[in-house]
Amino acid sequence: MTGGRGDPGLLDRMVGNSLGWLDGARPFFRLPPNVTTDADPNLTLKPLGELAELTQVIASLHPCAGIRETAGGLFAFAWGETRDGELFAELVRGEPFATYPVEIYGAFARAGRRNAAVEELLSTTARLRGWRVARDDHTRTLGVLNAERRIGLPQHADFDAVLGHTVLGRLPEPWALDRRAAYGVTHDVFHLTDWGRTPRRLTPDLAGYLRLWLPSWLESWLEEQLWDLAGELLAVSACLPDAPYDSAAWQRLAGAQAADGSVPETGTAPCPDDPAEAFTACYHSTLVTAFAGTLARIAAGPSAEGSGAAATDRRAPSAHPLRCESEAIP
Amino acid sequence: MAEQAQGAVPLSAVIADAATGVALALRGEGDPYAVSRILRQGDAASLAALRVLGADALAPYALDHRVCPGGDDEMVVRQALTAYPPGTDASEVSVWSYRGLVEASHSYLSGGAEPWPQPPQAAAGWVTADPWPKLAHRVSQLAALALPGLAPGLADDLATRTDDLARGFVRAVRRRDWLQAAGVGRWLSRLPKVPQTLGLDAGLAFVRQMSDGEPRVAVHVAAAHRFYGRGW
Repeated sequence: MTGGRGDPGLLDRMVGNSLGWLDGARPFFRLPPNVTTDADPNLTLKPLGELAELTQVIASLHPCAGIRETAGGLFAFAWGETRDGELFAELVRGEPFATYPVEIYGAFARAGRRNAAVEELLSTTARLRGWRVARDDHTRTLGVLNAERRIGLPQHADFDAVLGHTVLGRLPEPWALDRRAAYGVTHDVFHLTDWGRTPRRLTPDLAGYLRLWLPSWLESWLEEQLWDLAGELLAVSACLPDAPYDSAAWQRLAGAQAADGSVPETGTAPCPDDPAEAFTACYHSTLVTAFAGTLARIAAGPSAEGSGAAATDRRAPSAHPLRCESEAIP
Repeated sequence: MAEQAQGAVPLSAVIADAATGVALALRGEGDPYAVSRILRQGDAASLAALRVLGADALAPYALDHRVCPGGDDEMVVRQALTAYPPGTDASEVSVWSYRGLVEASHSYLSGGAEPWPQPPQAAAGWVTADPWPKLAHRVSQLAALALPGLAPGLADDLATRTDDLARGFVRAVRRRDWLQAAGVGRWLSRLPKVPQTLGLDAGLAFVRQMSDGEPRVAVHVAAAHRFYGRGW
């Protein structure tokens, strides 16, 4: 693993190809008519929320205009699927104490896509004492706290105190991480850094811990061909000060990306005979690949030279005059 | 592998028995240790097992020097050294492990009438050149050299890659490769500046428990504890 500039050409191809596949998968992200009643949120709202969360990062931070445009189109599509946020009002009325509508709405609110009726509802539900009852998963609580911050709701708990109870906050023995705990670590970092936008929130202790142990985790899960988790770990690497660039790891993830741009969650790509099955098996890891590639691309940019580039807030691309391969050709 | 002769004990069993004896001795349990009691002169499997265990066959003598010069212990080690010298095409691990047995003989079986052979030259370029997963694997195969006073130059070189070895320990535990984990952990127990967040003491105990009594794992964990005070 080395510091330095990475391989912008490879990263841009991976991000572009991922977004191309995701763009073609819009029909599978569309919400069914029964989304607020008996549809499985894990197959409907969860994919759409993740699409919104990650494409918004890419659309606002990636240095290549073409990639920003595709990502922005997908983000707008996701907002459209929520009927400009009206969906969230229905979800909150249906499940006033559920956190997932708030978490997903937060991704839109952060980008200025807001809905007055939703916020009116949340101004009541999120102020209840019942809302402050601890969730049984501290990492998830961080997600709720981040959503509250994005929407402008009062913080129902102290972020740092909750972080101290998470997997990352406990700094566990690095050999004791199982797959679930590793996903906990990646999401602790994502919530803490607002999905890579504010990496300076990683304290030196946390950054030092991650810098030491990420290589062994990456190696482990690349060997297991768990591409989804490996992608998340690469995204976390890109959040570190003077972000290390693990060229071999990126090459291996690139090797897992199919010609159509999809990245399977594990192993090799599924048979494309059943497009719905292929979507379920690939959408998250493909999104993660585009997200991680974007963060790595920014970390590898000119401003990354010298110290602490990744430790500052990430800004819109105008502050990162990076050349993109596709744009270098007149 | 050739068929075992009728009634012959497999080499793996001889190694396991010998390793059990070494681990007991390092823990201060069992009868007083004598290498010649568990690995017999003139017995091919014993000599091969001694070559495989390398310096670890003599590890209990690092605790105290109870060896009678010229006795059976010295003879069986001399036979093993003569029977299995590293060939010209031997791997670096093979040369190093042989060197470890020679060094241990010099250090722990001194005072005999005949001088011990000189330790062979062993290349160490791999210590700086190997990527960390390969480095950790190789170091685990040389765990027997992590004994007091042996291979001081190798220890100095490895001290420059403590973080990488610690990563190797993590990878080995995750792979449930207990022997590799114990070997790397044993070397880490000898090296300075092991990252505190690794949790080496807990890690060695964890590996011992998870390996369910595997004798060579037990040797590594016992040596780490006895000589370097790591693990519990």
